[in-house]
Amino acid sequence: MAHAPHKYLHAFVAEATEQLEQLASELVRIEQEAPGGTLWDSIFRRVHSVKGSAATIGLSGIVAIAHAAETLIGKLKAQHARPERTHVDLLLQATDALVQEVQHASGTAHAPRADEGAPLALAARLAEASRLLPDGVPAPPPAPRIAAQKPVADPGTPRLDVAFSLSKACQAPGARSLIVQRKLKGLGVLLEMDPQPAALMQKKGGVRVTALLATARPTDEVRAAFEGIPEVEEIEVRPAPIANAPSPEPQAAEEGGAVRAVPDTAGTEEARTDATVRVRAQALDQLLDQAAEVLHGIARLREAARHLPENAAAQFEAEIDRLRRTARDLHSRVMNARLTPFSSLTERLPRAIRDLAHRLGKEVELEVQGGAVELDRTVIEALADPLTHLVRNAVDHGLETSAQRISMGKSVRGLLVLSARRERDKVLVEVSDDGAGFDGERLRQRAIDMGALSPDRLPEINEQQSYELAFLPGLSTRDEATDLSGRGVGLDAVKSAVEGLGGKIALRSAPGKGSRFTLELPLSVSMANLLLVQVGGELYGLPMTRIVATTEYDLSARGGEGFEARSLAVMGQLVRAYSLAKLFGLPSLAPPGPRPFAVLEVDGITFALSVDRLAGKKEAVLKPLFPPIDRIKGLAGTTVLGNGRPLLVLDPRGLHELAEVSQRLRGAA
Amino acid sequence: MPQRRVLIVDDALFMRNTLRDIFTAAGFAVAGEADDGVQAVNLFRELKPDLVTMDIVMPYKSGIDATREIVQHDPNAVVIMCSALGQESLVMEAIEAGATDFIVKPFRGEDVLAVVKKVLGE
Repeated sequence: MAHAPHKYLHAFVAEATEQLEQLASELVRIEQEAPGGTLWDSIFRRVHSVKGSAATIGLSGIVAIAHAAETLIGKLKAQHARPERTHVDLLLQATDALVQEVQHASGTAHAPRADEGAPLALAARLAEASRLLPDGVPAPPPAPRIAAQKPVADPGTPRLDVAFSLSKACQAPGARSLIVQRKLKGLGVLLEMDPQPAALMQKKGGVRVTALLATARPTDEVRAAFEGIPEVEEIEVRPAPIANAPSPEPQAAEEGGAVRAVPDTAGTEEARTDATVRVRAQALDQLLDQAAEVLHGIARLREAARHLPENAAAQFEAEIDRLRRTARDLHSRVMNARLTPFSSLTERLPRAIRDLAHRLGKEVELEVQGGAVELDRTVIEALADPLTHLVRNAVDHGLETSAQRISMGKSVRGLLVLSARRERDKVLVEVSDDGAGFDGERLRQRAIDMGALSPDRLPEINEQQSYELAFLPGLSTRDEATDLSGRGVGLDAVKSAVEGLGGKIALRSAPGKGSRFTLELPLSVSMANLLLVQVGGELYGLPMTRIVATTEYDLSARGGEGFEARSLAVMGQLVRAYSLAKLFGLPSLAPPGPRPFAVLEVDGITFALSVDRLAGKKEAVLKPLFPPIDRIKGLAGTTVLGNGRPLLVLDPRGLHELAEVSQRLRGAA
Repeated sequence: MPQRRVLIVDDALFMRNTLRDIFTAAGFAVAGEADDGVQAVNLFRELKPDLVTMDIVMPYKSGIDATREIVQHDPNAVVIMCSALGQESLVMEAIEAGATDFIVKPFRGEDVLAVVKKVLGE
C-alpha cells in the first residue's frame, strides 16, 4: 500500500506510546490494589483513547485489539473483585501487541509484520475471555433512560403518523433515533415509536422507524424539524387515522437514574501540572546544540576583541559579557527543558520484575525513591538498559526464593529498592536488594580461572575489592547465564554504559544481607554525533555537525605519494585537501591508491581531510580535555567508546587553522 | 455569515489536530482546544463558541458530564459528541445529557462537516 503517512502520525505514536506505558504499569498495579478503586477507569480510558485515534488513521489491527481489550476491561471492572492473573497477563499481552502495532505504524511500516493475523487472533482471545466472565454483579449496562413508559395525550389533540428511515451509513442507529425522538418530544406528545431507540442499539443503519405524535402543529412544521438531523431520510408526516390513537395505559415508573458508565475520575488523577506542550526531543537537542554554538561564537568574539584598540575594547567586552550571560542563561534553560524525571525510567520496571519474579517463584517488592529527581534526557535514555539489567540481575541472582528466605528467617518478600538523589552536580542512582549478596570467594576464583587476576595478588584484595571483579568482562558467578538476566549482557556492559556517560559505578555487598550498586551520574551531558575515522592505527572522532560529505579520491595518481595539500573537486566545488596524518605527524598506514576523505565546513570554508579509513558513526558524550592535552590545537574533547577505550574528538576549526599554518610554513620554506 | 467558532475537546492531541485541520479547511475558526472535561466547561464559558466537538472518555470529567454542564449553562449550546464505534450507549447517555448530535470515529472530514452543517442549519 502506497499510502502517504498520516499527517499527525508522529503525534499519534507519541501519545499512544505514552498511554500504553502507563497502561502497562497500571495493569501491574491493579493486581495489588483493593477492588473498587478507580484504576480500572483510567485503564479503560487509555485503551479507549488509543483506539479512537487509531481508528481515524485506519490502523485496524490496533482497533481490533483495543476494542476487545476494552470489552474485557469493562467486564473485569464489573466483577468488583481483584482480577485473576491470567486476565492481567492477557491484558499485558494485549498492551505489548499494541505497542508493537504502534511501532509498526510509526516507522518500519514497509517491513511486513511477522503474522498479519496476529492482532485478530489476540482480539479473539480477549473476546473469549470476556465471554467466559460472568456478567457484572449489579449488572451495570449503561442503559439509556428510555423507559417503556406510555405517555398520554389529550384525546382532542390531532395525531400525526411519522415515519423515517435511518441511512445505511448510520453507525449508531440507537443514538440517531434517540435524537429524532427528542426532537419529536419537543413538538408534542410522542405516543409511540417503533422500534424504540434502545432496540436499535448496535444495529445496522437502513431501518425504517414509525412514530405516532400527538401535536397541534402542522405537518410541515414537524417535517421541517427533521432538517437539522443528519442520517435521516424518506421522512413522511401525515395525519393519523383516528383508530390509531392508543388507549392510555398505566404509566410505567420512570427508571431510576441511569447508571454512570463513565464515573467522574476527578481526584484519582495525579494533580494537574502546569500547562505543557509536547516538543519533539530532537527539537530540544537542536536548540541545545545551537545554544552551545552561540556560546562558542561569543567566546570567539571575545578572543577577536583582544586585537581591538584599547579605547574600543572596554565597551566591546562589556557588551560581550552581557551577551554571554544571556547566552549562558539560555543554554541552562534549554538544558533544564531536557530534564526528565527518574520515574520515567522506573515506570516500566514493575512489569518486568513482576514477570520475572513469577517465573522464578519469587516474591519481590519494589520500592522507588526519588522518582521526581530529574536527569538529563540523554542520561535517562542511556540508563534504561543498564538499570533494567541491574534490576533483573537482582531478582534473578540476588534475591532468594520465598522458601529460602523463610528458612533463613528473612521476610518472604524480597525487597528491591531503586533510588535517585541529587548531590551537587551529580545524581546518585542506587539499586539495592536484601538478597544473598555477592560471593567474593567465587568472584576471585573466577577471575583467576579467566586469567584476569594473578594468584599472587590475592592477598592484596580485600572483600569489597573482590566484588568489583564482577565488572570484569565475561565474569559471571553462574556457570550458565539464565535467559532471564543473562542475555549476553554482563555487568561489564553496565559499567561501560555508565562510564560512557561520564559516570562511575560502585558495588557494595554483604553476604546474606544483600548488595547495592551505586551509579554516580553527571547531571547533564552534551552529546555529539561523531564520524569515526582511523589514522595511523588509531580512531578519532569528527563532529558530524561539521561534515558536509565523505568521498574517495586517488591523489597518488596525480602526483605520487607524500602530498601535503591539494585540491579536490567536491560537489562541483574545488576544496583544499589535507592529510590528517600529516597534520598530527602520524604515520599513514593506508596503502597507496584511493583514499577516503571527510569533507568539512568551518566558518563558510570547505576543506577535505584524508584518512586511512572511515569507521562509522557514533553518538557519544563529549567530555572536556584535561591538561596537558587541552593545549593541543585541533582537539575538542574526549569520549569513551562502548568497549571502554577513550577516543579523541577532533576540533575541525582547530584542524583548519593547523592546516593553514602548515601550508604557510611550507610556502615560506 | 460571520465565521463560525468551534471549541475542540479531546484528550488526544492527535484527534484535536485532525479536527482542527478539518474545521480550518472548511473556513471555521478554532476558538479553543481543551483536553479534558473540566477545561472544556471553563473554555466554553469563556469563549462562547458556536459549536463544541466533545470527546466522551476523558480524564477529570467525562464528555457527558461536561456536556450536561455546558447545556445547563447555555441551553442553546451546540455540542457534537465524538464517539468511537461501540460506544453507542454512551452516546445515547450524552444525548440525554443534552448533546446536539454525534459523529463516530473513524470519521472523514466530510462526515464531520456534513453533521456540523446540518445541525447549524447551513
